[in-house]
Amino acid sequence: MIALSDYLILSAIVFCIGLAGIFINRTNIIMLLMCVELILAAVNTNFIAFSYYSSDVAGQIFVFFILTVAAAEVAIGLAILTLMYRNRGSIDVDVTNSLKG
Amino acid sequence: MLENYLPIIVFIFLGIAFGVGLTLVGYLLGPSKPDEEKNSQFECGFPAFEDSRMHFNVRYYLVAILFILFDLEVAFFIPWAVVQSKLGWFGFIGMSVFLLLLVVGFIFEWKKGALEWE
Amino acid sequence: MMDYQFNTADLFFALPELFMIAAIALILLLDLFVSERFQNLTYYLTQSTLAITGYFAFNLIGESAVIFDGTYVLDTIGSYFKVFMMVFSIVALVYSRHYLRAHNLLKGEYFILSLLSVLGMMVMVSAHSMLTIYLGLEIMSLSLYTLIAIARDRAVAVEAALKYFVLGAIASGLLLYGMSMIYGITGSLDIGQIAAFATGANLNSEQVLILNFGLVFLVIGIAFKFGAVPFHMWVPDVYQGAPTSVTMFLSTVPKFAATAMLVRLLIDGLGGLQAYWADLFIILAILSIGLGSLVALMQTNIKRLLAYSTISHIGFILLGFITGVVEGYGAATFYVLAYVLMSLTAFGIIIALNKQGFEADQIVDFRGLSKHSPWFALLMLFVMLSMAGVPPFIGFYSKLFILQQVVSAGYIYLAVAAVVFAVISAYYYLQIIKTMYFDDAEKEITVTAPLDMRIILSINGALILVLGLMPSYWMELAISLF
Repeated sequence: MIALSDYLILSAIVFCIGLAGIFINRTNIIMLLMCVELILAAVNTNFIAFSYYSSDVAGQIFVFFILTVAAAEVAIGLAILTLMYRNRGSIDVDVTNSLKG
Repeated sequence: MLENYLPIIVFIFLGIAFGVGLTLVGYLLGPSKPDEEKNSQFECGFPAFEDSRMHFNVRYYLVAILFILFDLEVAFFIPWAVVQSKLGWFGFIGMSVFLLLLVVGFIFEWKKGALEWE
Repeated sequence: MMDYQFNTADLFFALPELFMIAAIALILLLDLFVSERFQNLTYYLTQSTLAITGYFAFNLIGESAVIFDGTYVLDTIGSYFKVFMMVFSIVALVYSRHYLRAHNLLKGEYFILSLLSVLGMMVMVSAHSMLTIYLGLEIMSLSLYTLIAIARDRAVAVEAALKYFVLGAIASGLLLYGMSMIYGITGSLDIGQIAAFATGANLNSEQVLILNFGLVFLVIGIAFKFGAVPFHMWVPDVYQGAPTSVTMFLSTVPKFAATAMLVRLLIDGLGGLQAYWADLFIILAILSIGLGSLVALMQTNIKRLLAYSTISHIGFILLGFITGVVEGYGAATFYVLAYVLMSLTAFGIIIALNKQGFEADQIVDFRGLSKHSPWFALLMLFVMLSMAGVPPFIGFYSKLFILQQVVSAGYIYLAVAAVVFAVISAYYYLQIIKTMYFDDAEKEITVTAPLDMRIILSINGALILVLGLMPSYWMELAISLF
């Protein structure tokens, strides 16, 4: 039987990969979006594991909502991305530093 | 411990067998008369054979964005449908309101011309 | 199987939100089908929606109920916050219209997105479950990202939207991770049950450890939304890049929602761990006040300067929550109110200087304002003195109340540091006053703001002085909310 801690370790690893990806990879915005998705996947794993082991269905409902919100988030991210492409002809973060900081 | 994974292994083998088997059957038994029409682009609008790392037309993003939204919102209907008979009028009206809001969004994107290709 | 029984009477308590969502759907459709000639229709409908929603929220003051299976709460602080949010949104939209006209951005979507973000804030304010908090937060944030990108031809605006989006998405991810931990240990999403668990006497050290682990992520998420150092990276860029009217909206109304989120999660929910999160807040607060005061000295762009000034004000607000007493929370809420009033006026005046096709966002644009438009220069003088903390303006009392509470809670070194940085920050506020009154304008400044904006801006500026003359009523009100 797989223990609760196994799921938590898995989700912690996925979470750290997502977070590290954001800080290491600063050039491609699509990659940033994928890293954010990884973080959300880690959160979902956590919620489902907790929900299963405490036999409380609320956590799974939360995951449902996270999934839909994440879709909306990605949609807006892609929309901003296409605007950026239209303005600059490039989607690299490197060239988008007219705002310092 | 490991015997928990047995169904997964069976599943993998079944998957491989089905995939390879059906392709093989099609390859051996099916008639093969390729011509210009059959090898040309179909539905998705791309040439059938080319490098997979290519540029997409930016308009595909718009379709993707709209698809992803409605796709996942509609996913809310599945758990609702499972228990619909127990929820009664409360569930029905609640879901109707949800659907109504979704339709408002749909009318908006339609009228704004997001569904037009040109 | 849950035995949830839906009660139609519950809908009455959620009337402001329900009215608003219905109105948004209606306005969205009307805006689509009504011809160009009635371009103002969307604007007026939006303003009436906000006014009517505010009226409903006002009528519900004093009622309290937990509805919808414990996911939604109606209480005094929620109702008051909603009324304030509606009033300030109306003011912000009056100012916005002048800016949008001047830069050809006047579209129906602008107002609909504003309404949607306000709806998200209302959900956050009334949330009684981590799920509702998250949903409200996302409705608000997603609308705000889009609102920034509404100036789609401006590269800086799109870039600001992207930065806000990426950092906001990371912040929600961290917040969610914290929520999942809290859910795991308490076994519930309900704020009331989390509070019951966290204040329970028989917690073992492992449970406290996991709660704290989740708590750190929650605090990071909240700090991101507030824009407290070291999670402030988005604030200056977004403030500078976004269209000024969006910057104004962003810097004012959502602060109420962020405060409400803090209250719901950390005070209502994890109030039992106050000693733990107060330690984190000390670091956030002192860094925010310090960095906000020092970096602002070097800015030439007024929007960027106000961004750093906001960061330092956020530091003061967080100081109020460190104290852990009701008076401290009240002082922080009073500070939010004072800050929103000042910020609205400051951005209102910046917007008033905008003309057709002219973007006023540099400090040098204020040169010689006192000669060409003495009244607006006077209002700006009020704001700057108030932000610097000069009596008798409201900004002085808000700082005073916070410092009083911080000292009486025993953090004398924090109060001393805050005062030192406040004195430093006075330098750049006075710099702007000097620019307005003693520098000569290179070109003629004509203020083309319409009459309704002038009237409301004047009232808004005057309130900074008037409320400063009678702060005790508002302070008592703020304390009574907790």
